[in-house]
Parts: sequence; C-alpha cells; structure tokens
Amino acid sequence: MKKGKNKGRLQAALYMVCLMLLASGCGKKDEGTKEEKGYTYIAEYAQMDLKCDHVAQSAVVNDILYMAGSSWNEENGISTNYLYKYDMADGILELLPLDISENSYINGMAAMEDGNLAIIVNNSTYDLDENGEPVNWQDSMEMWKISGEDGAMLDSIPMDGILGDENTYINSMCIDGQGNYYLYNGDSTIFVLNSQLEKLCEIKSDNWINQMVSSKEGDVYVTSYGETGMELRKIDTAAKSLGEKVEGISDGYGDKQFFTGLSKSFLIGKSGKMSYFDLSTETEEELFDWLDVDVNSDYLSMAGELSDGRIFAVINDYSEENSKTDLVFAKKVKASEVAEKEEITYGAMWVDYNLKKNIISFNKTNDKYRIVVKEYGTDDYQTGLTQFNADLTTGKCPDIIDLSSVNYSQYANMGILEDLYPYMEKSGLKKEDYLENVLGAFEVDGKLCGITPQFYVTTAMAKASIVGNVDGWTLSEMLDFVEKQNPDNVFAYGNRSQIFYYCIYNNIDEFIDWETGKCNFDGEDFIRTLEFAAKFPEEPDYDDEEGLSAKLRSDKILLMQGSVSSVQEYQMMNGLFGEPIAYVGFPNNERKGNLIQTTGGFMGISAKSKNKEGAWEFVKSILSEEYQDSLIQQSGGWGFPVKKSSLEKQFDLDMTQEFYEDENGNQIEQTKTTWGYDDFQMEIYAATKEEVEAVRELLMSAQKLSGNVNEQMMNIITEETEAFFSGQKSAADTAGVIQNRIQIYVNENR
Amino acid sequence: MFFPVKEKLKSGKSGSNRRTRRGKRISVLYLLPSVIGVLLFFVLPFLIVVYYSVVDNPINHEFVFLDNFIMVSHNAAFQQAAKNTMMFSATAVPLAVVLSLLLAMMLESKIPFKSQFRTFFLSPMMVPIASVVLIWQVLFHYNGMMNEVLGWFGVDKIDWLNSSYAQIVIVILFLWKNLGYNMILFMAALSSIPKDILEVAVLESASPYQIFWHIKLRYMSSTILFVTIMSLINSFKVFREIYLLKGDYPYDTMYMLQHFMNNTFGKLDYQKMSAAAIMMAIVMVIIIGILFLTENYFGKDVEG
Amino acid sequence: MREKTEYNSNNAVALERWNRSVRKKKKIKHTRQLVRITLVTMVAAWFALLFLMPIVLTITNSFMSASEISANYGQVFATTDTGGKVYIAEKVNLKFIPDMVSFSQYITVLFKSPEYLLKFWNSVILVVPIVAFQLLVAAGASFGFTRYRGRIKEIIFFVYIILMLMPYQVTLVPNYLVSDWLNILDTNWAIWLPGIFSPFAVYLLTKYMRRIPASVMEAAQIDGAGEWQIFRKICMPLCKGAMCSIAILIFIDYWNMVEQPLILLSDPEKHPLSVFLSKINAGEIGLAFAVATIYMVPPILVFLYGEDYLVEGITYQGGIKG
Repeated sequence: MKKGKNKGRLQAALYMVCLMLLASGCGKKDEGTKEEKGYTYIAEYAQMDLKCDHVAQSAVVNDILYMAGSSWNEENGISTNYLYKYDMADGILELLPLDISENSYINGMAAMEDGNLAIIVNNSTYDLDENGEPVNWQDSMEMWKISGEDGAMLDSIPMDGILGDENTYINSMCIDGQGNYYLYNGDSTIFVLNSQLEKLCEIKSDNWINQMVSSKEGDVYVTSYGETGMELRKIDTAAKSLGEKVEGISDGYGDKQFFTGLSKSFLIGKSGKMSYFDLSTETEEELFDWLDVDVNSDYLSMAGELSDGRIFAVINDYSEENSKTDLVFAKKVKASEVAEKEEITYGAMWVDYNLKKNIISFNKTNDKYRIVVKEYGTDDYQTGLTQFNADLTTGKCPDIIDLSSVNYSQYANMGILEDLYPYMEKSGLKKEDYLENVLGAFEVDGKLCGITPQFYVTTAMAKASIVGNVDGWTLSEMLDFVEKQNPDNVFAYGNRSQIFYYCIYNNIDEFIDWETGKCNFDGEDFIRTLEFAAKFPEEPDYDDEEGLSAKLRSDKILLMQGSVSSVQEYQMMNGLFGEPIAYVGFPNNERKGNLIQTTGGFMGISAKSKNKEGAWEFVKSILSEEYQDSLIQQSGGWGFPVKKSSLEKQFDLDMTQEFYEDENGNQIEQTKTTWGYDDFQMEIYAATKEEVEAVRELLMSAQKLSGNVNEQMMNIITEETEAFFSGQKSAADTAGVIQNRIQIYVNENR
Repeated sequence: MFFPVKEKLKSGKSGSNRRTRRGKRISVLYLLPSVIGVLLFFVLPFLIVVYYSVVDNPINHEFVFLDNFIMVSHNAAFQQAAKNTMMFSATAVPLAVVLSLLLAMMLESKIPFKSQFRTFFLSPMMVPIASVVLIWQVLFHYNGMMNEVLGWFGVDKIDWLNSSYAQIVIVILFLWKNLGYNMILFMAALSSIPKDILEVAVLESASPYQIFWHIKLRYMSSTILFVTIMSLINSFKVFREIYLLKGDYPYDTMYMLQHFMNNTFGKLDYQKMSAAAIMMAIVMVIIIGILFLTENYFGKDVEG
Repeated sequence: MREKTEYNSNNAVALERWNRSVRKKKKIKHTRQLVRITLVTMVAAWFALLFLMPIVLTITNSFMSASEISANYGQVFATTDTGGKVYIAEKVNLKFIPDMVSFSQYITVLFKSPEYLLKFWNSVILVVPIVAFQLLVAAGASFGFTRYRGRIKEIIFFVYIILMLMPYQVTLVPNYLVSDWLNILDTNWAIWLPGIFSPFAVYLLTKYMRRIPASVMEAAQIDGAGEWQIFRKICMPLCKGAMCSIAILIFIDYWNMVEQPLILLSDPEKHPLSVFLSKINAGEIGLAFAVATIYMVPPILVFLYGEDYLVEGITYQGGIKG
C-alpha cells in the first residue's frame, strides 16, 4: 500500500514537471537564436574610380568582376563606353580597351566557362531630322567574344541573321552550364542559342519578364510577377517553355533581384536585405540588412559571392549631383570583433529616403554612436502603431521617435518627448538661427518636442484678383465667396468629398469645444458645408480635355490645392495662374490656413531614452550648419532648410543667374529647371527679388503643422457623409449621427 | 445506492487522518501548475493594470494615487459606456436565460426531429464571427433586408445601426449566438429532474404551473445560475461583434466599456484603461459574489 | 433521494385513481396534444430557420463568383481612403441562391493562393495545443480544487472566476509586457501560454467535478487508492463527457480569436485565418465566403462529433446515482 501512495505522489510530481517544462521550453529556444546572432556583417568599400556615370552591365567569374558602363558628355553629346576589370581578390582595377563606336551600347554581358566574356553590343544608327532630333532608329545587335585577360577581341558575330528577324533587340544575356546562350528581347521572348550560336529554340512567356538570371547549378531562370508576388521559373530548353513556379520564395510585390550564387543557388536582394535562396531545399535564408552595415542599397545593380565567402555588391548612387558607383564587400565577422558603438534606436513607421541617407552617413562618420532603425509600419498602420505604442511603454522604447506618421500633439502632450531647447542651448545652437514660425509650430507648452530638417508649405491658391490680397479665410467667408462666384467646380477634377474635406480638414477643432466637451456638428455651419459640397459632382471628371491652366485662367475653377516646396515651384505656380496669386490656404477661424509639412524626417527624443546624449547627437547633426547647407540645391530641393542662414543661401542661389555662351558669343541666361503641373509646363530661370520675398512671406505665414488632424474623427465623418452624398439621408440626419459618434470620441479624450 | 455519511468516514479508520493530510498536500500539487500559470499570465498582468491605474501615464510612471479613478469616473464617455454595458447585460442576460429555457422546454415537449432542432439552434456557434458580422451588416443595413421587409408594411426606413435601435440589434445578435448553448444546458438539466418526482406531482394533481415553479425551477436553480454566469461572460464578448460592425466609435447606445478600454489603449492612455478596468472588476466581484451566495443558498436546498 | 422514497411509499392508491382518469380523457387529450405539438414544432421550425440562415448563406454564397458577391455586398465593405468602413451603399442584396454555381472562390483559395491554407494551418497550430493543454492543466487544477476544499482554495477559486470574467482588453497590454519579459513575444508561445493557463476550463471543470458526490472518491480512498489513482481511475472517466464539451467551447472560442495574434504576433505570416476574416475589405470580399466556409469545417466536425457530449456534458447528471 505504501508503494502505491509513493507512486501516486511521484506521478503527480511528474505531471507537474511536465507542465513546468512546457512553460519554460520557450526561453531556451530564444537563447539559440541569440547565439546565431553572435555573427554580424561589416561592409568595406573598394577603392574604385570609374570614368563611367554608372555601371550598366556586369559579370563575374573566378572572383573577377567585369563592369561596363558609359559616360555621357554633355558638351559634345557623345557617350563613351568603358569596360573595367576588377580583381576582387587583389583589389586591382584595370581599364580594358574596348574598340566600340560612339553611341553604341552594351546590352548584355556574361562570363563564359573559359573565363572570357561574351557581350552584346548594340550599334544603333539614326538620322537627324531638321530639328536635330534623331529619327529612324536602327538597332543592330552583335555578339562579341573578348578575352577576359586583356579585353582583346576574339570574335564578333552579327545577331540579325541568327535570331530570324532583322533588328531583333536584345536586352540581356545569360549563359548556362552547357555554354548555351539565352538572349532576352526585353518584351516576352527568350532566344536560346547553343555554344556554336545556332538557334535552339524561342520561348515566349505570358507574363512580362522581370529579370533573367543563371543559378549556381548552371540553369537559367526568369522572374516575373504572378498572383502573390514575384515568381521564379526555370527556362526548360527541352520542353521549350518555362517551368513550374519555384516554391519557397516569399510573397509580395516588392522589388526582388536575383543574382547567381556561389554557395547557394541564388542571392536575393529585396527591400534592402540580402538573402540566400537554395533551389534544392526551396528555402530562403536571410543574411543581413544593408542598412545595418551602413550601405544604402536603393540602387543595387549587381551582387554576388566571392570564394572567400564575402558578399559583394555594385551599387549605383544617383543621389549626388554626379552619380557614381560603389563596390561594397560585406564580410561576416564575429560580433565581438566589431568595434563597440553605442546603439541609438530610431523608431519609425516608415523611414523616408533622405532620412535613410542621412542615417547611413551619420553611422559612417560617427565613431561613438550608431543609429539602428526600427520600422513598425511595414505591414499595416494600425498594427504597427499598436506595437509602437506597446514598445514605448516597455524597456524597448526607441531613443529617437519619428513623428511624421503619428499624432504629434498626442505624444507631445503626454510628456514622452524631451524638450529640445535645453539641448540646443547646451550645444550652442541658437534658437534665433532657426525659423521662428517652424519652431513655434512644434512647440507644446513652450517646449520643443520635435524637429525637422526641412519643410514645405501646403496651401490652397486662388487668383488674387478675385479673392483679394488675403492670406487666409474662415469657413463661412470661404462658403460665401464660392457661392457668390458660382464656379463650375472648386478644384480641377474636384468631387464632393474632396471639397468637403477641404472645408473641414483643418477646421475640425472649431466644431468642438474641448473645454466643455460640446460638439457642434449638428449646427448650421456643418450642415451648410455638407449641403455646399453636395452641389458639386460626385465623381471627378477626368475626361475633361481642357487643361488646368486654361480652367484657372477662365475662372472655371476657383482654387487649387498644392504645396510650395521651392522657389522654382512658386515661380511655376505664377506661370500656371498667369497673374498674382493669393495663398488663402485651408479655411479656419484664425485665417491661418497655410500649413507646415515636415520632410526628411520629423523626430523627437524619447523622455525615457537611456541615452539621450547619443540621441541628441543625431538630432543635432540634422540641425547643424553643415547638414542644413547640404540641403541647398541648385534647382531647389523638395523643401526648405529650417536654418535661416541656409535658407538665405538657398534663396541667393535661386536668384543667381547662370549664363552660357551661344555660337555668336552672346551670354544667354540658362534655364535652372523645367517645372510642370498637369498639362502646364514652363522653364524656370533665376528668381527675382520680389518672388523670393513673396516665398519668404508665404513660408512665414505658415504657423500650424499639417497632418495633425485626427484620423478617428475623419473616419467617422467619411463613413457617415457617404450616405448623405449618395442622396439617401438628409444633411440634418447625417450631421446628427456624426454629432453623436464624435461626441463619444470627444468625451473619451477629455 | 448508498452513500456513506461524512461522520462515519471520519470515525472509520485510525490512519485516515494522516492520509487526509498527505492527500491535502498532494492535491495542492495538482493545483500548482495552473496556479503558477494563472499567476504569471493573469494575476501578474492584473497587478500591472493596478499599477498603471495609479500612475500618470505608462511612460512617465509618476504616482498619482486615485486621480485616474476620479478622472475616469467623471468622464462622460466612461459613464455612457458603463451605463450601456450595464443596460446591455441587464437586458441581454435575463432574456438569454428566459428564452433559452423556453426553447429547451419547447424541445422537451416531445416534438419530432428533436436532435435536429438541437443542432440547428447550436449552429450559430460554428459560424466565424466575421461572417456573422457580414450577414448582420447586410440584414440591418440602411438598404438591407430588414428595412425592405418592414417596407412591405409601410414602415419607414430605420437606420438600425445608427440610432437608438442599435442596442436592440446587438441584443438580437447576442441572443442568436448564445441561445443554443444555453438551451442545451437547460435541456440537460430538465432531463435530469427525476421522472418519478414529476409523475408523483401529476398524481397529486399539481397544475403544470405548479410543477414548473415548484419542481422544475427548483431543481434547475444551479443550472440557471450557471447559465447566468456563462451568459454574463458572453455578454462581455459581444464587443467583438460591435467592433467589427462599427469600429472604434459606434453610435452612442452601442458604446461599451470595452470600447472605452480599447480606445484608450490605442491612444496609450493606459491609466484611463486600467482605472476603468479596475472599477469594472470591483463591480464584477460584487455581482459574482451575490450570484455565489444565491447559488450556495439554493444549491444546498436541492442537493441536501 | 430521500424525497423520492417518500413519494414511492404511498403511491398504490393514487396510481389507481390516476389511471382511471387518464383513460377517460385520453382521446380528447390525444388530439389536443397533436395540435399542440404541431404548433410547437412550427414555432421551433421557424426559429431554427432564423438560426440556420447565416450558416446557409455563408455556404451558398461561397458558390457565387467573386463578381456576383461584389455586386451584392461589395459596397458594404468598401473602405475609404483613410481606412474607415463605408456604411451606406446604394443597394444591398441578401441572396441565397447563386445566379450561377461557381467554384472559382474555392479554386482560388485552395489552389491558387496558398496563403489561405497557410493561415488555416496557423489556426490549427495555435488552437489545438491550447485546447489540449488547457484541458490537461484544468483537469489537475479542478481535481485540486475539488479534493479537500478549504478556505484558501475557495478564495483562489473565486479569484479564478473574476479573472475569467475580465474582458481581454484589460489584460492584453500587460500580457504583451509579460510576454516581452519572458522573451516569447512574436512566437506562438505568446498565444499558447496564456491560452493554456486560462481559468475558463478550470472553472467549468471544477463546477462539474464538485457535483460528483464526494463519497465516490472517498470510498475509493478507503479502499486504499492514492490520489493519483483517484484522479486517473475515478475522476477522469467520470469527467470524460465534461472534458469533451469544455474542449468544444475552448476550441470555438480560440478558433475565432482576433485580437491576441494581432498584438502578440507582429509577423502577419503567423496570423491565423480568423484575423484575415475579420479584416475583409472590398477587395477580398469575393473570397470571404469560401474562406469562411472552409474555416467552418473544423467547428462543424467538432460539433457533429461532440454534440452529444455537449448535451450531457456541463451539468452533472450523476452517472452513478440511484
């Protein structure tokens, strides 16, 4: 009997232990992945000074990289081709002689088994018409075989006869393990030739082919967009068709580039990440994120693997004034070998292009801190926001919080953002050096909770001759005015909801008394606005042939919503209207309807950050004179710098005339840029002093931040107005429901 | 058969005391896994909620004592939500109990296809919530079937989901989903009433009315309380349907406490959410306490 | 039990009296009963129709082509630019019978886009362990609560009930924090563990076990059975029906979960199909019914298999009485 009891206890204990193990099992699994993360990648740039603007074609064989590109000479209108050989093991760059005529292009390049190169040369010919424009383009393709050693021409075969048609265009080329050539015509046909250049077959694809690539195994595959995303299919020369879609490739329509691998079948570059793809197991394995190794891979042109395991990438950089090409090596190292930098997390829904560039350059130059980006909004906004919020409350709170797609005032009012003024003071940045109205728009209770490097102004424009020289109006003024003018439409291609939004968007707080919690959506003003908007067409009329400019000039439309992001854009608007413009903006009670829109990152420092100094280091960098000056651009950027001195430099540049000498030796003013909107286009020359003054005034008039409109309330309004606009409910009923639902929102938030 | 009485057992064997003590200890072992899990995943989170309810916001963690409770209890939206939730539970739960009891008695009255009917009434449990909501949306749409049917009788269109009728729609939805399960619980209880008692009652010429009130209800009292608790739990779950129907901010009569909590959560106002949750918990403790006492009172009466 | 014997003792005379009166009234009563039963059946049928409508609609609509569905309900689920739902549409049709039977929805769901099946599988992976282990944990806990009841255990049990009644919104955020602390965020464990330890099954099963007469277990104890044997050999067999019915309830509940995966699993590839279904918008509505129908299959199977348990399950009827 005693035995039985013991057994019972033992079994009960066992049962419990089982459950405990179950509960603790997870912790162990996680440790495993951490060990895996003991490795990290670091990037090294190769010293490479190429004469060509960018690398258009490349091929790699035995760690030797061949790159071909052309350089366009603006003076004489001639493009020159260059072929480079770069020994990636030794780091020696060599310019191979290439006897190729001007205005010929290299359309394809692939390495052959023997180490020599096959290239497709497009000798295009054309005649010039009376205006000097080229006509009668003729493409004639040739395949050249050249020595991989010194670039000596081994063979040259015209393609016309081989492919059937004359003038068959060839866009890219691959070579498979048997030495067969795959030529893709850039449309949907692939020609397969054997090593003797005899045509084996012609394969047509139903889908547009995105890319042709050979695998490590020596087969050639194509990628195209299918039902759920990018699909990879083998070119089956035996069946003369494309094979079944390869499984295991992650869904999504994001850009995926495939490159031939060395240890695995392919390397895949997608949205800034590198991964392996193995055909035999049909699995994808992520390697690293280019951003983590401080490389901007937006224009990844070619990637591959070296025999020592390094990953190389050819990346074109078009962002600079003169585009250039980088060769980057990513090397796997033990995490402990990398110099420790303090990590500063930058939490954002999405990271904008300029900001990304800025972060990379900060990481490259700063040897104390390193910005690590955490993006939340990749799947959908609401889920991202929830996780973002959850992280804010845990220890994972980002040091720098990107505010460009969240409700700024909500976060600022909660006291989770540091006041940046004391930091500025400590670092010797003077408040007076920056635009007061911009800083003012960010201020909450006298604290500067967020900052942006650049901004532009969103507004609505009308002819000053009609509206008068005003820079703002109230809702009722606006309604009175439009009703008096009685135009066909308020905006070009305007519809009811757009017009309604224009009236309400920046004005919604005026229907709410936050002090008492009273809403007034069932009042006269709101109902009037609803009825007003309903007078306009439900659907925008896109078939209208008449151009925007003509409509504006003939007063068929009254207003135009738009932005002013550079002096040049302002000049274009003047041209579009053909007469002085009044920037009335969005209706609101204070008649301050021009809004500040941040660009290039809008950030604040978390009050809970454990490394505020480091976070400030980065924020400071975007306010620094150096960075602010770097925003100045010849033909105006997308936005104005917030530092006064940089803004003035930009203005000076905008007013600087440039000249060139014509054939008679006269100095002729050169156009700065060409700006257009809808069907209107004009060439922009240097701005006059008056124009710059007007822009300055416009910039100063903007006092409020754009995008601070409450989405929840907007959703309720949109949802309910639909019934009214489709004529099913009266304006009063609709307003009543909106009042009811928004009242709850208001009550909840008081 | 014969059940030994407790006293008899106690005086039975000399070793039983020691065994009982050991048994007690072992029984704690059985409890332990669940208690640890509940502590970790339910009690600890609840304590965190308590903590949040006394700080100013989840990021600053400044202690403010009862400020949040005062603020929330004065909040008009919270009051509205509390009122709606109470109204809803107070109408939907009794309705669910009474109607499902009626249904159960209907099916117990020897009608054909009894088991088929039972399955049919249970079927709403199988439909994914999203389809339910879709169909409800189409039914009670402004141009939906309900208005069309009413139109035949010359009734004006009603905007069901955007008027004070909204709560009726929700009650119907709730009943539709939960009647079947409650009914089954009642059917089981009904069939467990000893037949001979009913027969004797008939013999004694008790009226059906008397039989129902004095025998059936008496016997089912613990089932009724059980169904009430289950319906109460489910009445809190109706939020998911309302949410899928009308989003974060529905018409005010549909605005429940869970909306308040869900929205304040979304806006990082954890302090408001936590204060509301704790107030709700306190009310819940009182309600459940009362239900428990009643159950103990009635339960002993029958089982004894 | 005592009542019963009381009644039985003096029944001889009464029975005789009753039999006589019954024979007299039998004919009239028979027709009246027939009418009553017909009426009741009709009422029940009418109710059944109402109850069945959604399930029938879901299934018949799954055989409509995507375009037919969009034409009927597309507007209801159209979303605005800002992501809000548009409520009013010109015309809404509730259609039972498709214009033309089409399997296109199923073909898309089953063969063309593997993501739906993948999500279905996610659902299975998330729900099945919860059901199995919640029952296992609850079986132990209920046994613990049932044997040797004491003041402390009663208090704990009361706490369980309160926790069970808490709306999930309350504990979801703290759950996120706890999961983060345990390092299980973004893994299935974050869904499994709170599910496994949910007090719901403990409450139901304890309620059930406590109605098993204490004497049954005590008798075994006197016969020398240890706690494990009582649990394994006496308690569990008696609770089989209850366990099945509780399993059904848990299954239904978690099969429809939406919020937990959304917050605790950031990777949408891990989300169950229920999350997808709850986010249907105009673009996908054509597939909604087929997906919903496929999603209904496991619950229907569970019901068909377990309905009888459900019926006898929760309330203890005393399998060992009399």
